[in-house]
Formats: sequence, structure tokens, C-alpha cells
Amino acid sequence: MFDLATIMQILWTSVATSSYYVLFALSFALALKVNKVFNFTQAAVMSVAFYTAYGCVQLLDWPAFIALPLALVAALVLSWFIEVFGFSILRERKVEMLFVFIFTFMVSQLTVYLISLAFGTWSHTIFQSMFWPVTLVGPIAISGWDIPALVVAFGSAAILFAFLRFSRWGQFMVAVSDNPDLAELYGIEKRKVYLLTILIAGALAAIGMFLYGMRAQVQPRTSLDLMLFATVATIIGGIGNLFGALIAAVGLAVIQNASILFISSEWQAFLVYAILFATIIFLPGGLRMPKFGTRFETKTREISLAEETPSAPPSTRAE
Amino acid sequence: MEYLYIVMISLGIYVILASSFNFVIGEAGLISIAHPAFFATGAYVSAIAALRYGVPIPLAMLLAVVVTFLVSVIISLPALRVSGDYLMIASIGFQLGLIELLKNLAITGGAGGLSGIPSFLVPQIGNGGYAAVVWACAIAVVLVLRYITRSDYGRAMSAMRDDELAFASLGRNPMWVKLWVIGLASAIAGFAGALYAHFFRFMEPDQFDVLQSAALLTMVVVGGMRTSLGPVVGAVLLQILPQAITFLNLPPSVLGPLQGILFTGLVLGFMFFRPRGIVRMDPVWKGALQDAPASGGTHVRGA
Repeated sequence: MFDLATIMQILWTSVATSSYYVLFALSFALALKVNKVFNFTQAAVMSVAFYTAYGCVQLLDWPAFIALPLALVAALVLSWFIEVFGFSILRERKVEMLFVFIFTFMVSQLTVYLISLAFGTWSHTIFQSMFWPVTLVGPIAISGWDIPALVVAFGSAAILFAFLRFSRWGQFMVAVSDNPDLAELYGIEKRKVYLLTILIAGALAAIGMFLYGMRAQVQPRTSLDLMLFATVATIIGGIGNLFGALIAAVGLAVIQNASILFISSEWQAFLVYAILFATIIFLPGGLRMPKFGTRFETKTREISLAEETPSAPPSTRAE
Repeated sequence: MEYLYIVMISLGIYVILASSFNFVIGEAGLISIAHPAFFATGAYVSAIAALRYGVPIPLAMLLAVVVTFLVSVIISLPALRVSGDYLMIASIGFQLGLIELLKNLAITGGAGGLSGIPSFLVPQIGNGGYAAVVWACAIAVVLVLRYITRSDYGRAMSAMRDDELAFASLGRNPMWVKLWVIGLASAIAGFAGALYAHFFRFMEPDQFDVLQSAALLTMVVVGGMRTSLGPVVGAVLLQILPQAITFLNLPPSVLGPLQGILFTGLVLGFMFFRPRGIVRMDPVWKGALQDAPASGGTHVRGA
């Protein structure tokens, strides 16, 4: 049961599975970092992306190269709508966090019901078959989905990190996430940054959902469960730490896949929720994950420490 | 007429649930959405005690209240280390974890649910009598919670909700207040669960999932948070509206989603166009302000 081949296979499957988890986690973590919202509307965006792709490919018989970009556009339009007619209004009204949560949760639920009404509650996949040809590399079986999925996921992550680090708008996003009022004083338009963040998060979630929908069956409520996984990864990775969320997503995928060696598959969902509960209670600040671009931050911190009096470390929102 | 009684019983149970949920989320400002988990705990404890161990039903119901109280306090002790959005997500984790637990344990009947739960009072007094009992309990719960909210303790809760740091600096222990609020509200939810289990006599874990939280949130938000009457109005409205749709004789595949769209659409509509709900917030401080001397402010007495 614990022979090397089995362990290697589980590790490979875990890493391949983590491809969409990474994208969901990055999407959730980005909205939380910049816009400071637990964006559960991400589930709605994910559902719309999947069902648009499914509708185009399976019902309209359109080729994937048209269906997937169209589904991406649908996800972006919904993200734009949610930001402009939802978040921005709530932000202006300075509503309590509870109301923001209710809003995000209700949008997700409303989408689930609308999709159930339109497509039914049974399972669908983007393509007719979700089985991919398998190649044996030594003792490891690698499916035709694995490597493209990993390339897409980690390629998207690399583009995101490069965008945040080197592009002007990416730096605006980092500035707004750090101190929105100060960023505004420097001439950064917060509203545009918030909108851009939600759009990028929506795109990442949609791409993740395409990967998921090519390999597994999706029901209207599937995206809600997937998003909870993203929430766990974001919290374990440490809020505000995108690279941490990425690492945590891979780690969680490994734990979830490896757990079949020790516990039956029925308890896998319980494991995720137990980890979620325990992480928030005992590690509200997340694990000490490495931050992308730490060297730069350390350098600037050293300079500021030399020039200013030391201040109290920033507290988490947890007590 | 029997159908009407069943609707009335369901309504009464939701009034109890919505009012106790408002006590946690509205009055105390504790953003936990795991209330249906405690509803489930009460329902399952009472049902299992009566069905599997032959415990007399009133005793089983009492056991349900005590166990739910204890479970909520034990869970809250670590959970209340965090607050705000962290508490909310922890509560989601707890609720979904509990549902998975219920689905996988043999004693709870697994995902298929628990059936053949012994009936309480209905053989003696009928559905109408049971509806009267449930409504008497609902009214008692609303009045007790209203009394607490308007008492010194309620004002302490408001103070804690509005500024926990200031509350603690007055020498009060917010943790005790939170534990007490969650324990009491959960025990009430557990009691509602017992009332539910011994009337409907069947339940399955998925009945207590996050959708149930959404329904309760809807009742509180649409009715009017931080009011005594709001959750009652919300529960009545949101239980009657879906019932009205059932008369359209739509197939279940359409009816379920349509009811959900109605629920969620109403909440979103109220959030943007009438965020304070149907019943606007009570002037909780009115009495204290009237009693206060002209030169002085109000103060919070003991918690």
C-alpha cells in the first residue's frame, strides 16, 4: 500500500490536481488582499464560466477555441457587474462586513438557483468525455490533462506575480492593498484598481474552472465547495500573501489526495472543513509562508527602520 | 386544515430560530452563521435519544437543549478567539464539518437521514394542538429575548458589540458575554430542533446546510436586524411566500430553484433598497436616555 510507486503516483496526482486549486486560491487571495473582501461571489463567476463553456461546447456544439474565450468574457462581465453594481455601492455606503458577506453569499446562491433552473441539478462536464489518454512515465501514470493544466495554472500564476511586481497597474494594486487612502493621495484611482482586481480574480477563477470542468463533473453547487477550499488555502497561506496561498493550495491538494491512504474517501470533505476550522482558530495569521519579493521588502524595511522610530507590529484582525 | 397546521408549526419553529439567530448576529454582533448546526444538534440528539435509547421524549428534548448548550460553549471557547470575518468562516467550517460528520456516522442514519422518530404530543392533541404549543414556545422565546435585550445585560451586549475594547476597559469580560449569548441562542435552536424532529419525524443532514443559514440570514435581514419583531416578520414572510409558490403546481425541478431565487433576490433587493429591513431598529437606548439626567450620558450597568 505504501510502496514508492503508489506514493509517487499520489504525489503526481496531487500536484496535477493542485493546478485548479492554485488558481481558485490566487483569485480568492487577490480579492482579499487588495479589495479586503472575502469574495464569495467568486463561486458565481466560476459557475457562469463553466456553464457558459458547457453550453457552448455541448449544447451549441461550438469548438472549444470559441467557447472558452466566450466563457471567459461571460465571467469577466459578471465580475464587472458585481463590482460596479455591488461592491462599489456597498463600499460607498461603508456597510458592515456582515452585509458584504451576506451580499457575496447571496449572489453565489442566486447564481446556483438560476443555473439549477436553466441547466438542472445533475452533473455536467465541458467536453463529452472527462477521460484523458494516459502515458506511463516509469511507475507514474500521467494523463493528457495533467501537464497542460499545470502549465496553464503555474503560467497564470507567474504572469500574475510579474504583473504585480513590474507593471504600473500591478504596483497600484499593491499600493492600494497596503494603504488605500495613501494610494489615493498619490493619485491612484482606487475604484479602477478595485475593478481591475475583481476582473483579474474573475479571470483566474474562470480559467481554474475550465481546468476543473475538463476533468471532473460539475453541479450548480460545486463551485461553492471549491471556493471553500480556496478560502482554507488563503488563510493557511496568510492573508495578503499570494505566494503563501499558492503553496498552501498545493499542500492541501497533497494532503487531500494522500488522505485516501489513511482514511476512507467519505471523510475527505470532513478533513477539509476540519482543517478550515482549526486553521482559523489556531492559525488566524496563517503559516509563515515565504513572500514573493521578500528581499525587496526587507530592504525597504531596513531603510525605514533606520530613519524612523520603531512602531508596534501590525496586528491581525483576529483577537 | 391539516396543511395549515403544518405550515403554522414550520412557521413557529422558524420564528424561534430566526429570533435566536438575531440575538447572536444582530444584538451581540457575533458573525457566526452556524446556527443551523445547533438546530441540527438539538434535532439529532433528541431524535437519537428517543429512537435508539428509548429515552422519554420530554427528557430527550431537555437533553437536546443541554447537549446543544454544551456543544456550542465548547466549540465557542476556541472559536471566539477570533472575531469578524474570521469567526464567520470558522462557523462555516464548523457547520459543514458537522454535516459531513452526520453523513458518515451510523448512529445518525448517515446521508440517508433518520426516520421513524417518535412523535411528541401529536397523537394526544393533534396537529392543531402541536401548532399551539410551538407558537406558545415561539412567543415565549421572542418575549424572553426581548426582555434580555432591553435589560442591563442587553445594554452590555450592545456596548460590547459597538466597541469591544471600550467594553473591556470598563472591567467587563467580553468573552463571558459572548459565551453566554451563543450558549443561550444555541440552546434555543436545539430546542427548536427537538420540536422539529418529533413532529416531522424524518430528517437528513443536508437540511441543515449553508442554505439553511442563508434562509435564516434572509429572515433576519429582511425582517429587520436588531429588532424583536423583525425576525418574526421575516420568518413569516419568507415561509409563506415559498408556500404560495407551491400552489402554482410547478415540477420540483423548477419549484426548488424558484423558491431559492425568491429568497436570495429578496435579500439582495432589501440590502440595496431597504437595508434596515421591514421593521426598523428599535430605539434601544430610548428608555435609558429618558431616565438619564440632563447633564449626564448613559452608562452600562453590570453584565
